Amino acid sequence: MNVDELIELFREDTLRLTSGVTHVWAVFWANLKMFLTYRTWVVTETLSTVASIAMYSFMGLQVDAGRITAAGYGNVDWLAFALVGVATANYLWMCISRISHTMQHEVSEGTLEPIISSMIRMRSYIVGQSIRGFLVSAYFMVGALLIGLYVLRVALIVNLGTLVSFVAILFMMIASYLGIGIMAAGIILVYKKGDPLTFLMASVTEFLGGVLFPLKYLQDYPVLWWLAWLMPYTYALDAARAVLLTGATLISLNVLGDLAILGIYAVVFIPVGLWVFRWGCDRIRYEGTVATY
Amino acid sequence: MDPAQLVKILSDETPRRKTPIPQVVASFIARDFKIWWTYKFWITLDISGILIFVATYYLFSLITSPQQIQEAGYVAGGYFTFALIGIAFQQYVFFAVQSINMSVREEQWNGTMETVLSSATDFKAFLLGETCFYFIISSAFLFISFSVGYLLGASFYVSVTSLLSALVLSALLIASHMAIGVLSAGIIMKTKQGNPLTWAFSWMTQLVSGVFYPLKLLPWYLEWVGRIFPLTYSLDGIRLCLQACQDLTSSAVFSNVASLIVFIIVATPISLYVFKIGYDAARRDGSLGQY
Repeated sequence: MNVDELIELFREDTLRLTSGVTHVWAVFWANLKMFLTYRTWVVTETLSTVASIAMYSFMGLQVDAGRITAAGYGNVDWLAFALVGVATANYLWMCISRISHTMQHEVSEGTLEPIISSMIRMRSYIVGQSIRGFLVSAYFMVGALLIGLYVLRVALIVNLGTLVSFVAILFMMIASYLGIGIMAAGIILVYKKGDPLTFLMASVTEFLGGVLFPLKYLQDYPVLWWLAWLMPYTYALDAARAVLLTGATLISLNVLGDLAILGIYAVVFIPVGLWVFRWGCDRIRYEGTVATY
Repeated sequence: MDPAQLVKILSDETPRRKTPIPQVVASFIARDFKIWWTYKFWITLDISGILIFVATYYLFSLITSPQQIQEAGYVAGGYFTFALIGIAFQQYVFFAVQSINMSVREEQWNGTMETVLSSATDFKAFLLGETCFYFIISSAFLFISFSVGYLLGASFYVSVTSLLSALVLSALLIASHMAIGVLSAGIIMKTKQGNPLTWAFSWMTQLVSGVFYPLKLLPWYLEWVGRIFPLTYSLDGIRLCLQACQDLTSSAVFSNVASLIVFIIVATPISLYVFKIGYDAARRDGSLGQY
């Protein structure tokens, strides 16, 4: 056999018959099927969500309602105030950490190499994984809000206007953090660790975002106050609370202002995240460390 | 070399030098500490997590009313001290129990379980060493939580006898949770899955053991469920000692101590039995080192 002919044959670019959308769907569907086999995890996480909402309702019995009103949130119950915070914070970090967690998993299981060497584009892979993560996280968030609304009778304002606005806020919140999630995934590819960092970021975000207490109480600590308003989540939570607790919608100026800031974060962070991810992919290919852990 | 001579040398029975168990346990603690210390990034993350958690509940305490806490008999310190004790001890036992499971899982995962067991080391000594190490680390984290809480304004109402009583309750807390740790390690041995148990233990104790609120706020059926967990008695007793200056002579504290002792007497043989079943089954199946 003529070796040159054989090399030429391998060099020939195979026609890609599938579009990016098909790739994304394939990744999403494969991962959703895998996820559905983890029934114990789904059951335990569902019970855990119910337990945590119940726990917050008992914690709320100790809160002085006047302090929430004095902090400028109107005449709302603390449980309603905390429920919006807890549901959105959990949703955000389940979505964002999913990308880096999946990457860590693929690296440690040694399945990253087959994925990279397949015809699936890494971009399609990330998007497919993210959609799966968004849907699974949405299940827990909607579950938490429904328990609050219908079991604990939490006074959230739910109508078409507030629902559309809330979904728009969630979308912008995820977009503003997506770059960070993709960046973490790129770092994990190279350094093989990094998942704990996303976990720490989740705790910091919950603390500085004012999930359990009004942000006004951070004003006495100027550095923390400044850091809180540097985080996109603070704006997302501010808008979500304005919508679900006071009935504001997308046409309210304060909500629009928050969304605009989230948009700026998305525009800045997504390209940076993609750049870091590409750098990570190229580097492990160059170093030959795709399959090492 | 004469092969027969070599076989004879290798066949020689090496006399087993019986190392005292405390020395074996101390060796495991030293080994685990050396490994743990190499993960400085993880240590930093763990400590940062504690600081953030305590700070979150400090800020939360600013919007709470101390009424329910005082009605429950914890007269000093208000909500922040109450929550600090709850969080610090809940994290303490959760970290310790989870870590025992993790150490068994890691030995299995890394394929070092069989190496450990094929050495002259008794498995009970191995487990005791691992358990002691994680309780020592958890104690350090507990100390950090209390120090941060104190700096943020947590206040205690104590005397020498109430402090000593709190120490007794802490020792009983450790003993009771060692039993839970050993029980879940036994299950892991066989099932290779332990997280659901530790996970259920974590959220159930948070919900019903009075970590974040007094038990009186719970409906009667959840309060009843809470009485299954040793953390409920430990937290109530420790809080009465540190927030109300009570000691073992008080009937409330004594009743908590008695309940913990009963739990330890009942749970320890059961957990050792479950562990033995799991261990023997894994040895019989030849799956001790499998993940």
